[in-house]
Amino acid sequence: MDTITRRQFLKATGAGALGAAAMSLSIEEIANAAITRPLPLGTPILVVVTLYGGNDGLNTVVPVNDPIYQSLRPGIAYKPEDVLPLGENLYLNGSMSGMHSLWNKNQVAIVRGVGYPNSDRSHFSSMAIWQSAIIGAAKTGWLGRWVESQPEDPFLAISLGSILPPLLAGSKRSGSVLPLGGLKVPNGSLASDCIKLAIESRSDNLLQAMAAKTMRNLFTVSADITPILRSPAPAAPDLPTAIGGNAGGDTNLSQQLDIVAKLVAAGAPTRVWSVSLGGFDTHADEKGSQAILLGVVSQGISKFMSQMRATNRAKDVVVLVYSEFGRRVRGNASDGTDHGTSGPVFLLGERVKGGFYGEQPSLNNLKDDDLAVTTDFRDIYASVLEKVLSTPAEKILGNWRGRTPLFN
Amino acid sequence: MTWFWHGHWATSYQKVDDALPMYLQNQSLRRNALGNFAQMSREMVNDAALIFWLDGQTNTVKAPNENLSRELMELFTLGVNRYSEDDVKETAKALTGYKVDKSSGQVNYYPKQHFTGSIKVLGTQGSFDASSLSDFLVARNDSALFITERIWYRFISSMNPLTDTSLTASFASRDIAALVKAIGKHSALDNPENSMVKSPIDWFISASRALSITPSKFSNPNNIRNYLNLLGQLPFFPPNVGGWPADQAWLSTSSAQYRIQFATQLVKEADLSPISSLAPKARIDGLADWLGVVEWSSRTKMALTGAINDPARLALLALCSPEYVVSA
Repeated sequence: MDTITRRQFLKATGAGALGAAAMSLSIEEIANAAITRPLPLGTPILVVVTLYGGNDGLNTVVPVNDPIYQSLRPGIAYKPEDVLPLGENLYLNGSMSGMHSLWNKNQVAIVRGVGYPNSDRSHFSSMAIWQSAIIGAAKTGWLGRWVESQPEDPFLAISLGSILPPLLAGSKRSGSVLPLGGLKVPNGSLASDCIKLAIESRSDNLLQAMAAKTMRNLFTVSADITPILRSPAPAAPDLPTAIGGNAGGDTNLSQQLDIVAKLVAAGAPTRVWSVSLGGFDTHADEKGSQAILLGVVSQGISKFMSQMRATNRAKDVVVLVYSEFGRRVRGNASDGTDHGTSGPVFLLGERVKGGFYGEQPSLNNLKDDDLAVTTDFRDIYASVLEKVLSTPAEKILGNWRGRTPLFN
Repeated sequence: MTWFWHGHWATSYQKVDDALPMYLQNQSLRRNALGNFAQMSREMVNDAALIFWLDGQTNTVKAPNENLSRELMELFTLGVNRYSEDDVKETAKALTGYKVDKSSGQVNYYPKQHFTGSIKVLGTQGSFDASSLSDFLVARNDSALFITERIWYRFISSMNPLTDTSLTASFASRDIAALVKAIGKHSALDNPENSMVKSPIDWFISASRALSITPSKFSNPNNIRNYLNLLGQLPFFPPNVGGWPADQAWLSTSSAQYRIQFATQLVKEADLSPISSLAPKARIDGLADWLGVVEWSSRTKMALTGAINDPARLALLALCSPEYVVSA
């Protein structure tokens, strides 16, 4: 395609006027701006846990005594002795003992049958809907829009990992990204040279301005975070030594949550954290692999909550766990399940009013073999925005009326 | 275009876990990259790596597995919402009975496990196997529209979707080269708003070309793999069946960091003579020509001016500048 480079087209159209340089920044100026202003105690903090792939809700919150459940899922159904009682004839996956003990302390809300009208069974469309809270084409995430509703601050919302999730994407400003190893920025003259590239130029288009901004945030965020990352994670003193599941060995999710725990404990002025775990697309051989993943989720979150109790932020932290859809009620021939509709959403923390919300979709009343949607996920988001992020839901979700009274 | 198609029929070694089927898929994509899309699609629905990746090998007449049938329509041939949920269930039946032998990279057909009855797909009743189903889907107008949209998304703009559907006419015979040519001549390329962030691979390959670096001769090839992984784009390891993200996803504090580190390695291996042979004063304009940047902003000019006597530093800064990271 040598004959049609962008450059030749752009030269022909004369794009790219010279703009005046914006203000000049130094590392010291940027670094001073951050941890000198820790998040005030009592400010709620949201930790969003995204389960990619479509978690099988029926094998997470299990109607183990329902004969229809048993008959539709040969090879995948749990037996009553494998699962942990929740009440209302529902049971938690046996690998989730950590979250089960938090449930018994009334610190877990389980919203049942969560989804949206006309469920989209595409991973990508459905995840886009959940992350944008917009049904139809969307360019921003619900928490990205929240970032844009707040004063500019690269610490405000941080995702762990190397790629920005759509969740935190805004139209002009987005959340920041923190890779697991932490940020290692250049120093010396290379640093001062790179910082010159971080100045926005009037001739920048939207994406170029964002490229400059990420360079600037790299230096802002890293200067403050790096010393904290070197410190040990908060202890989890009240955690039982054996908590079931696949004990031992770090998982990626627990590494992510460990970093969040350190930074929350250090007082980072961050209101929203995003972490994730993949692998829930269990079309084949589901039972063992889903149990391992749910064990990782439960263990990671219960350890995190315990770490929070060792700091003074336990009352401030709310964890939200969701996936893009639940799975088909009937198992397939590969001992797996295909894409379905609704699933449970978990909220955890001392601010949360523990217990069940929403109706459990009935297995007697399937629509096209799938579970009914009994709660719209935007009800949950609206309540989280208002009660955790102290932001009118209308600003982010438009005129959305529904709420789920999840918080004390 | 092979790279584009790898992201389109995105299959990961992570699950396939065998080099031979991945290699054979890559050969097929190379063969057909600018050939006929009907032929490519037919090869892909019979491709061992793709079938294994999407659980096609466990799709039997008794209880069809819908993973492959859904993605075939949603991500490979038609586009989302251009079919119904019933179509997903029906096409899954047509894809039953194919088993992968990973050690040979071959797909074997087991007639007893194949659904032989008639199915109704997109309003048409008939009996299908994988190849005839592929032909049927690819022949639809929605398929021409979808492939046009995808090439547009990757080469013109992910932010401003295709609106000029007349482009699909150039894809009437499913000739990929003709479609690419038509898109390449489209007036949308005149619009400076249609800029794109270079994905890590785009950035690495274009930088390597400019710097005369042969990746296989890199002093430590593991470094390349390591940095591409850190930047989130390792070939043969797409994050999921939807392929890699675009634009904004590549602009993060994390990618800014790894780009600087990777560029530091690249300039060490580079042939910098096209820049060092220029008089210092001529180097900034020379860099723009060398890297295919239309014009430096005053910001970047200022940054480059400070390094005018150090060709390696100049190249590094240029590679990390917003003007290079974002193809205007």
